[in-house]
Amino acid sequence: MCARTELIPPVSKEKPGYKVWNGARAIAEAVKVADVDVISAYPIRPYTGIMNALAKMLADGEFKAEIIIADSEHSQFEIVKHASATGARTFVGSSGVGLLYAFEAVTATGLGSVPVVGVIGTRALDDPGNFGMEWTDIMTTRDLGWLISWPRDVQEATDMTIVAYRVAEDKRVLQPHFIAVDGAAITHVSAPVIPPDKETVAEFLPPYDPPYRIDPEEGAVTKAMHIAPSLIGTEQRKVIDYSFKRSMDVIVEAWNDFSKYTGRKYPPFIESKNMENAEIALIGMGAYMKDVEFVAENLRKEGIKIGTVRLRYLRPFPAEELSKILEDVQSAGVIEFAFSYGSPYRTGPLYHELATSLYHLDKRPKLLDFLFLGGREPRTEHFKKAAEKLIDIKNGNLPEKRAYWLTLRGEDI
Amino acid sequence: MSLEEFRNIKKLPSEDYYTAGHRTCAGCGPALAYRLVAKAAGPNTILIGPTGCMYVANAHQFLTSPYAVPWYHTQLGGGGAAGIGTAAALRALMEKKKRKKEEINVIVFGGDGAMADIGLSGLSMGLSYDFERLLYIVYDNEAYANTGIQASSTTPWGATTTFTPEGSLKRIGNERYKKNMALFAASHPNIKYVATATLYPPLDLMNKVVRALNSGGPSLINILTPCPKGWFSEPSDTVILSRLAVETGLWILWEYSEGRFKLNYRPNPRRHVKEYLRLQGRFSHLDPEDIERIEKMVEEEWPYWEESDKIGKIIIPFIH
Repeated sequence: MCARTELIPPVSKEKPGYKVWNGARAIAEAVKVADVDVISAYPIRPYTGIMNALAKMLADGEFKAEIIIADSEHSQFEIVKHASATGARTFVGSSGVGLLYAFEAVTATGLGSVPVVGVIGTRALDDPGNFGMEWTDIMTTRDLGWLISWPRDVQEATDMTIVAYRVAEDKRVLQPHFIAVDGAAITHVSAPVIPPDKETVAEFLPPYDPPYRIDPEEGAVTKAMHIAPSLIGTEQRKVIDYSFKRSMDVIVEAWNDFSKYTGRKYPPFIESKNMENAEIALIGMGAYMKDVEFVAENLRKEGIKIGTVRLRYLRPFPAEELSKILEDVQSAGVIEFAFSYGSPYRTGPLYHELATSLYHLDKRPKLLDFLFLGGREPRTEHFKKAAEKLIDIKNGNLPEKRAYWLTLRGEDI
Repeated sequence: MSLEEFRNIKKLPSEDYYTAGHRTCAGCGPALAYRLVAKAAGPNTILIGPTGCMYVANAHQFLTSPYAVPWYHTQLGGGGAAGIGTAAALRALMEKKKRKKEEINVIVFGGDGAMADIGLSGLSMGLSYDFERLLYIVYDNEAYANTGIQASSTTPWGATTTFTPEGSLKRIGNERYKKNMALFAASHPNIKYVATATLYPPLDLMNKVVRALNSGGPSLINILTPCPKGWFSEPSDTVILSRLAVETGLWILWEYSEGRFKLNYRPNPRRHVKEYLRLQGRFSHLDPEDIERIEKMVEEEWPYWEESDKIGKIIIPFIH
């Protein structure tokens, strides 16, 4: 005999003007109002919920788009690459090893300057079945010509999706764009969201109009990535390098405009809190910065001069702005969910970015790496431990090493 | 407006959409097939080229291009997906009135490596959708010729390649049997048109392109394209080899339209396979008994093709 349990529907109390949506659903709403033309889907947790939501919206006729259920992530990313080059606004996404399966297509999309927009629900690589949050998947795409932004919560993930289209499709940029969404922490967490409004978005986001579409209307356009290295291979890469430089201004413009249209204000690249007179700082990205900020604010109440720095973009990386914020800080710690085995001082890729950004300063903080690996969820006590380590170093004690695995069970050798 | 079939080789249009500007080998079978396919499809066409000879050797090296219609590269295994992506974009833009409505052909021109090996899964996905005027071409030169003649899953039994050389221990060379890509395509329930073709007769190939594009759904044509570099044959023998492949019964010309199978050509009398094999260096190591084995394979296969034609349905003919 199996007992029958009555399902109790979750009770959500919506504030007027808000919806309670999980991150996946909210991002799907952003894709809908962005009037995307071609979507390609392949399932892998935790990003899949976005595609589930989009498929249901299309089934209900909420908007019009082609949704292609691909046979693999490689096909999935090739589909949007070609749809985008043909003139369609596209949406794609993946997680973990799925992203790596698509790697070849991801590379060709970047080098081909095709402004696809994709959401990566970050996930550990790849103890199969480990759905835990790690950044190792998205970090592998750092060098491939994709812009990468990193939201803190469901609202920001929604807004970033809309802004990503505006930035990627801008003729000064024309590069693909990932939004890295912390797996589970955003994709599966419900929160009140101000829904994106179709009319407002239509004003903010001009229609996609790429130059040289692959379409007989445009004449005989030949588009190949393979050119003899002696001819234009070098220049091709310089053009993309320069697009990323220009994208710094485009991103600032886009977020300023976004706040004009929606009233929601975001600092374009870096959100820092209590950094004015800070002696120590915790630096990171994504959803767990909420917890980091909570810990830092409590320490502030105890009189500790601590601030937090949240990066909203990994690519382009705002090195100059960051070094200005950090130059008077005495010790700083990177909160990161990715690692590079055998790397300098056995640290993670975000640490490397930070160290590079600060290297040229005459006065720079001592920099530590706090690692959260393998998908084990950190708690506020871990972030507190990180802050205590920084206080220790600020007080003149030399660090015994650069990187600390704070969620590790057993000895951190 | 649908495309019209060609009645007479003398009345073919003079326009070419695959023209000068490539640097393929002398006697290149795939290049000739490309020219015929593009000519048959006409100007309202988008061509997609997965990595392979017909990508690498067709331009770009000197910033030239032989394509007089839009063309875009796709990754080696990306043919199926790239065709779908392009067709989906066109349909979405037309349905949403972002682009004017018209009939545009999307043709993916992929080699046997790109379509039968690394891109098989993506191709199968492409064949399962219902995009009109989406045609997949497998130009089958029976090896990875661009990388220096390595065996693919369509390399025939007995052929030497750099991955299947003949040796004192492995005398035969390639010991796998050729995968039949047209039968694979025909197994997709959504498929509207499948055919085999080669460079001879040219009108047979061109009209199959027309019928495929007019079929109203996904389609595939498997074109046998002799490759002097990979087959160790004379450049001047390329079309002769195409003809002999058909007349020896090794390459069966058939089409499968809306679920109905039809043989397009019956060799009568059928020539002995040795006439085809002896012009190719890749088979030169075979003993007379090996050649007889191939002849017997063809002989045993044919009654099943005949039977398929009689009942209009496909029977899997292999009995090796």
